[in-house]
Amino acid sequence: MEPIIEVQELVVKRGPSEVISEASFVIERGDYVGIMGPNGGGKTTLVLALLGMLPKEKGSIRIMGEDIESFDQWDKVGYVSQYAINFDSHFPLTVRELVGLGRVNRKNLGRFRKKEDWKAVDEALEAMNITNLARKRIGQLSGGQRQRAFVAKSLVSKPELLMLDEPVTDLDPVSRERFFKRLSNLNQMKGLTILIVSHDLTAIFCRMSRVLCVNKQVHSAAITEETVPDDILRKGYGDHFHFVFHRELCKGVFVDEQS
Amino acid sequence: MSSLSLFDIPSLFQYQFFVLALIGGTLAAIVSSWIGLFLILRKESMLVDGVAHTAFGGVALGLFIGIDPILGALVVSAVSVYGITYMRRKGLAQSDSAIAVMLAIGFSLGIIIISMANGFNVELLSYLFGSILTMSYNDVIVLSVLTLGAIGFLVFFYKEMLALTFDEDGAHMQGIPVQGMTMAFNLLVAVTIALSIKVIGIILVVALMVLPGLTALQLHRSFKSTLVASSLFGIFATIMGIILSALFNVATSGVIVFTAAGVFLFVAAYQRLA
Repeated sequence: MEPIIEVQELVVKRGPSEVISEASFVIERGDYVGIMGPNGGGKTTLVLALLGMLPKEKGSIRIMGEDIESFDQWDKVGYVSQYAINFDSHFPLTVRELVGLGRVNRKNLGRFRKKEDWKAVDEALEAMNITNLARKRIGQLSGGQRQRAFVAKSLVSKPELLMLDEPVTDLDPVSRERFFKRLSNLNQMKGLTILIVSHDLTAIFCRMSRVLCVNKQVHSAAITEETVPDDILRKGYGDHFHFVFHRELCKGVFVDEQS
Repeated sequence: MSSLSLFDIPSLFQYQFFVLALIGGTLAAIVSSWIGLFLILRKESMLVDGVAHTAFGGVALGLFIGIDPILGALVVSAVSVYGITYMRRKGLAQSDSAIAVMLAIGFSLGIIIISMANGFNVELLSYLFGSILTMSYNDVIVLSVLTLGAIGFLVFFYKEMLALTFDEDGAHMQGIPVQGMTMAFNLLVAVTIALSIKVIGIILVVALMVLPGLTALQLHRSFKSTLVASSLFGIFATIMGIILSALFNVATSGVIVFTAAGVFLFVAAYQRLA
């Protein structure tokens, strides 16, 4: 498998304190990665460093084979921040306009939109099953619909790598399961590499192929049938942690796509 | 001068000053309402008021050294808007404090110059309260060129301006040159304020820039529709203001603002009651 992210001995500081310490891991193309860890452990810092939005103190980050300092194909990287959905609900923007903003980048600066841009918008709306909401204002959307609209925005530039920072925090269990299922489909059917910060351990251990447990240090492990979650979780949360894991519950809350 | 009746409106178009006022007012209304909508959504409406008051120093400086006062206002407005942005970015002051500091500096400059000059107080008043009916051909040409420039910028960089107004960090991540775009936009703000001073005056310029956008936002439409509605409300308030002020022989700038405020209240009430 081809690596899409390679991190070597990464150190990231915020102010005087080291938030990420000597992290080394590899994410391969097509991986579906859950990033978890205690609050304040450095999950968001790690994501921001991978996006080049926070400077690194030491170490190296390579994205799609290129050093992050010289990497310029950011249109191939989609990102939904944990604050993205906390927008001003009075902002006069329809879902279609919002998703269209995902096509704006340095390469098409000052250029009028073409038919292919709007075609990509329609495809992204369809991929997240929100075509019927296209003309609705974003302030009128429910929490789950907002999440899908923002993921559609990040998908519209047809990224190869998608990073989402705690996108399901405010969702009820049914919407959350539906959301993870859609991401699984994108991962399996389109080969999209997905990194998602989440506290939903069931979703991580049942749906994803790799887990990064972040608590200043980053522990990476592939998730297979033989994976013992305790081993990974204790590295991040401490020895007192015990994951009660029932195989049958692994199916989570099942919802069909139409409902 | 006695008041005119409604039947006298067509005859007003015979007067060059009236036609120039309508053309100049319409141009200023379009550009002010567009820039104003972006400012409202960036939560920077008070920036207009602060910079406009700072421009008072520029007008006084222009009158004192004998250059076009609007040019003086433009230079001081640009310095002021960049000063505010610099203070905010470097953490020297919060947004409202930075605006207060620049407003005070600009206004103080004006007061010092007035006390030194002793002679252009009446002329200065026309910039404080606007003098749209004294617009010349040259004023309208300058206004047209700058309006086209501002509209051109917003049309070409529409999607980029929308992206960074909605989510600045996200726009930065997408590779949009946020700092460059913001600097260009700030220059447009300064230019728009300086040009609107002739139409509506330093004290009321904030109303021309904010009320049309605020009214359009009550309609809860898409961004594009809101932008169009904003300019229509701005044009309506300006034209109606000019005509009504001629009919009733009262201050044009005041009537423009009252019309814009009346439309805002009507639309807001209608949206809530309908």
